[in-house]
Amino acid sequence: MKTALTAATALVALMAAGLAAADTLEDIKSAGKIVVGVKQDYRPWGYLDASGKTIGFEIDLAQDVATRLGVELELVPVVASNRMEFLQQGKIDLIIATLGDTEERRKVVGMIEPNYYASGANVLLPKAAGVATWQDLSGKDICALQGSYYNKKVQQDYGANLVAFAGVPEATAALANGSCLGFLYDNTWIESQVASDPQWAEYHMPLPTEQLTPWAIAVPLEDLEGPYGTFMHDVSTEWHKSGFLIERNAANGIAPNPFLQEQHDKLQ
Amino acid sequence: MTELLHPRPADPAMPAIKGHLPVLLPVRPPRPVTAAELFTPGTALLLLVLLAWFSVGPVVAQAAGETRTPVALLLLKWTPVLAEGFAFNILISILSMLAGTVLGVGLGVLQVSPNRLLARLAWVVTQFFRNSPWLVLLFYCILLIPFELEILGTTVPFPGWIKAVIGLSLPVMAYMSEFMRGAIQSIPSGQWESAASLGFTRRQTMIEVILPQTVTRVLPSWMNLYAVLTMATPIVSIVGVNEVMALTRAALSSESRTDLLIPMYLYILGWFFLYCYPISRLTRRLERKYAVKL
Repeated sequence: MKTALTAATALVALMAAGLAAADTLEDIKSAGKIVVGVKQDYRPWGYLDASGKTIGFEIDLAQDVATRLGVELELVPVVASNRMEFLQQGKIDLIIATLGDTEERRKVVGMIEPNYYASGANVLLPKAAGVATWQDLSGKDICALQGSYYNKKVQQDYGANLVAFAGVPEATAALANGSCLGFLYDNTWIESQVASDPQWAEYHMPLPTEQLTPWAIAVPLEDLEGPYGTFMHDVSTEWHKSGFLIERNAANGIAPNPFLQEQHDKLQ
Repeated sequence: MTELLHPRPADPAMPAIKGHLPVLLPVRPPRPVTAAELFTPGTALLLLVLLAWFSVGPVVAQAAGETRTPVALLLLKWTPVLAEGFAFNILISILSMLAGTVLGVGLGVLQVSPNRLLARLAWVVTQFFRNSPWLVLLFYCILLIPFELEILGTTVPFPGWIKAVIGLSLPVMAYMSEFMRGAIQSIPSGQWESAASLGFTRRQTMIEVILPQTVTRVLPSWMNLYAVLTMATPIVSIVGVNEVMALTRAALSSESRTDLLIPMYLYILGWFFLYCYPISRLTRRLERKYAVKL
């Protein structure tokens, strides 16, 4: 009888421990590692080097989170179609994967504020094309990426004929061989490419950037108000305040981002 | 007159004999592959791939001046990473083939079961998986199976590639089931009757008489299925498994070179071709070997 009672007590204690461990931050600390979903095909934010290692701006951020927690970092490559499912399933603990902060997505995952990055839509065009305004794109074939949030507006408001590809390599190859007039993509990416890569010497970005959208780090929705969400909020604030994001942006060869400067100045 | 009787061109090894009929010819072992047979559309394609690979590289390098690395060198540089991914494709294909074959043989035997209900059920399962898009099955497996399972208190991780193996083994199972049903039904009924007259039970007849005879009938289709499966493995990249296609994408993105896309995809195509082509050659030889000779 006594042993049965002890066993029952032990079981209850175990279950209580199990309940307490529902906090993701505790789980991460006790596991000694944080699993972060990152892009591996989005240079320079997240990409592979020839040794098979994932590197880039967002990986620097993931590393900083792991260092602050004193745990090991494990990277899981994700794509737009599976990153939020992986977070919901618990396969990853955190998304740092060029995730645009939108209303619909806020219902699915916990978006950490302040946003760590922002980018807008712009078009990489040949200098010879003579395009000066967004309206000039009307009726022209423009390469784009499947699933980009800005595709719809460019198609509806400016009447551009979008040719959507699965990845940047496919789209840029199509642009280079003349299958389309320009490439609709993130303004920060276009700026970095035009500034650094000789293969785009005959191209430029003549249009004003539109539809600026912030990017957010995401935690599971149930953790947003808990210790984990609060911790990530503090980390993100600290990144902006200390200038860490501006410094990492430059270190990864990305053109200066006005959003980062603005946030940095606001927090001083 | 003799020509009318023997319209076939005379075989040099076989002197023309009056009244000689092809059906009386002795069974000969298959000939070794000749040079003419080796040059097929398949090998022509291989040559094209190699040609494109070697020609595109230097031309582009010249056009862009000295500052750019030749495409061939870039391919070489990424080969270790891509090879790791390709090995993963092969692993996934072998495991799904094994699982699918075992399940498929069972399902195929059930399809010819004398128990009507069981046979009907096996037929429904077979038809369902045989006529579903592979990608849809994969999506279900990836998103519905949890990433880890709690079995008796211990957590067993369930990585994406294992889910991909399960997802791909389902269509393999269905195809295999159909192959088996066809093979079993093609065995002459005399075999069943003789086994029964020797006192074999249905189970014994199936295992000791019928199934061994289906092996040679199923083998060519089975190998064909494996080649098709291997070439289908790149679709698992869509569900987040880091196989050769996902890594090719990543490599292309990392290099951000517009001229690298086509050579690199050709390079990967070449790998799949080199892996699958011998299998299809062997399949053809086996088909010829086991074909019913007249």
